[in-house]
Amino acid sequence: MVTLTHYIVLSTILFGLGAIGFAVRRNAIILFMSIELMLNAVNLSLVAFSRYRAELNGQVMVLFIYAVAAAEVAVGLALLISLFRHVREVDVTRINILKG
Amino acid sequence: MSDYGYTFSMDQLWQIAGGQIILLIAGLLLIGLDLAWMGLDSERRTSRLGWVTVTALFAALGHVVYREWQLHEVVFMGVFSMEKFTAFLTATVLMAGIIASVLSLNYLHNNGRARGEYYILLIFALYGTVAMLQSVDLLMMFICLEIMSIGVYVLAAYLKDDCRSQEGAFKYFLLGSFGSAFFLFGLALLYGLTGTVNLTDMAVELSRGLFTRPEVLVSLALLMAGLFFKMAMVPFHMWTPDVYEGSPAVVTGFMATVVKAGAFGVFVKVLTVAFGPILYESGQPAFASTFHLAALAAYWKPVIWWISLLTMFIGNLVAVSQTNVKRMLAYSSIAHAGYMALGILAGNDEGRMGVLFYLFTYSLMNLGAFGVLFLIDGKERGAQTLEDYQGLGYRFPGLSFLMSLFLVAMAGLPPTGGFIAKFYVFSAAIKEGYLLLAALGILTSAIGAYYYLRVIYMLYMKDPVREVEPGPAAFPALAVLIAAAIAIIYLGVLPEDLAVLADTAQRSLALVF
Repeated sequence: MVTLTHYIVLSTILFGLGAIGFAVRRNAIILFMSIELMLNAVNLSLVAFSRYRAELNGQVMVLFIYAVAAAEVAVGLALLISLFRHVREVDVTRINILKG
Repeated sequence: MSDYGYTFSMDQLWQIAGGQIILLIAGLLLIGLDLAWMGLDSERRTSRLGWVTVTALFAALGHVVYREWQLHEVVFMGVFSMEKFTAFLTATVLMAGIIASVLSLNYLHNNGRARGEYYILLIFALYGTVAMLQSVDLLMMFICLEIMSIGVYVLAAYLKDDCRSQEGAFKYFLLGSFGSAFFLFGLALLYGLTGTVNLTDMAVELSRGLFTRPEVLVSLALLMAGLFFKMAMVPFHMWTPDVYEGSPAVVTGFMATVVKAGAFGVFVKVLTVAFGPILYESGQPAFASTFHLAALAAYWKPVIWWISLLTMFIGNLVAVSQTNVKRMLAYSSIAHAGYMALGILAGNDEGRMGVLFYLFTYSLMNLGAFGVLFLIDGKERGAQTLEDYQGLGYRFPGLSFLMSLFLVAMAGLPPTGGFIAKFYVFSAAIKEGYLLLAALGILTSAIGAYYYLRVIYMLYMKDPVREVEPGPAAFPALAVLIAAAIAIIYLGVLPEDLAVLADTAQRSLALVF
C-alpha cells in the first residue's frame, strides 16, 4: 500500500538530491537540471497532497508551476548561451570575472 | 473583514485592480508601439517608449494614491488584498520605477544602447512586483515573484556584449531560481498541512493547533529562505555583489529598490498575516483566531535576530574593503536590508512603520546614488573605482554634491531621511527589548559611515589621478535626481507627514485581516 507518506518522503528525497546537485556539480547545464528536479519534486508532493485531500487545487497549482518553470528555463538557457558566447565555458567555477 | 466576492462589475474591477490593469495594458502597448515605430531609429523609438512608460507609471501611481489607498478589502476570492499597507508599498515601488525609467532614458543614451525591449521588461517586472505586493495567496505570490524575477534576469543581462553583465545575470538566474524552489517547497508543504495557500485561511488553520508541529516550522523556514534570497539577506546574499556590479547601473538601482521593497513587503505580510499575530500597542492580538500564533512568532524571531545581525555585519564589513564604488553600494544595500529586518523583528507598530519609512527613503537615496554613479561613469565601467572619484569635487561640483548627499543619507547622518529611518527601526527594536542587537546594529552603522564618507573624502580632499569624463546629463534625469535629493532633506527635517502615512498604512494590516 503506497500512502501519502511514501510520496512525501520520495518528493523530499528528490528535492534534496536537486539541492545537493546544485551545490556540488559544476556544469551549468546540470545545475539547470537540478533546479528542474527540485521543482518537479514539489509538483509530486502537490499532486500527492491534492489526492490525499480529495480536491483539485493542488493539481491546478502544478499546472501553474509548469508554466512558470518553462518560462524560467527558456530565459535561463538564453542567458547561458549569451554567457557562453563570451566565455566558451560551462564550468561555473571557472566563470569568475566578478569577484571581491 | 474579508469580502470574498465572486462577481463584480467593470466599475468595481477598475476600482480594485486599476493599477495592475494600467501596468499590464501599458506593457502590451509598448510591445505594439515598439513594432509600430520601427521606422524611427532605435534611439528615438526607445526614448518615446521610455516616456510612454513614465506616463503609464504616473497613471498607475495616481490610481494607487487616489483609489487604492481608500480601499479596504480582500478581493478576487481572497487572492489579492487592497489595504493601505499594500498601497503604501505599491506607491513606493511605482515611484522607484518612475525614477528608474527617467534615469534609464539618460543611461541608454549615454551608453548608446537604446533598445525598445528595455522598457517592456522594466514595466513587466514592475507589474510582477505590484501584483506580488497585493497578493495574500502563496501561489499568486510565487507566480508574481517569478514574473518580476524573469524580467529582472533579462534586464541584468541587458549589456549583451559585456561579459560581466552576462555573468552576473546568469548567477542571478541560477541562485534566484534555486531560492524560488525553496519558496515553492514551503508552499507545497503548507498546502499539505493546512489545505490552503491563502494566508488568511492559513492563519485560522494554523491557530487550530497546528502551529507547534515541526513540519510547520520546516515549511516556514523554507518559505523564509526563498524570500531571503530575494531580499539579499546574509547568508543568502552570495549573488548580490556580482549581480549588482555586472548589471547596468540603473538596473542595479532598480533591483536594489523595487525588488527589495517587493520582497520585504511580501515577507512582512507572510509573517504577520499567517505566522504571527498583529499586535496592537497594548500587546493584544488583533483577532482571537491569531492568538496562538504568538507562540509561533517565538520560533521565527531568533532566526531573524541572527540573520539581521549577520546581514548588518557582513554587509558593512565587506563594503569597507571594496575599491569599486558600485560593488561597495551593493554591499551597502545588503547592510540596509539588515537594518530593515530589525524593524520586522521588533514586530510592533513602530517597527512596521519604520520598515515602510525606511523602504521609501532607501528607494530615493539608493536610486539617487546609482543615478549619479552612472553619470560620473560616462559609459558603463568607465569610472567606478575610488581612484576615479579622486578630486572630482571641484571639477564637477553639482554631481559630486548630489553623490555626497545621497551617501550621507545612506550613512544615516542628520539632517537626512536616512537618519530618521534608522532612528525609527532602532528605537522600535529597543522598545521591544532587543538592546544588544540594536547596539551592535549602531556599531555596524558606524562602520558604514566610514566607507560612505571615504567616497566623499576622495571627492573633495584628494587630487585627481585620472581624467574622468562624465556622460551628458539631460534635464529630466537631473530634475529627478534633484527632486530625490530635496525629498531626502525634507524627510530628514519634517518626517512627520510620511511617518503618519506609514503608520496609517501599517495599522491597516490589523484591520483588514
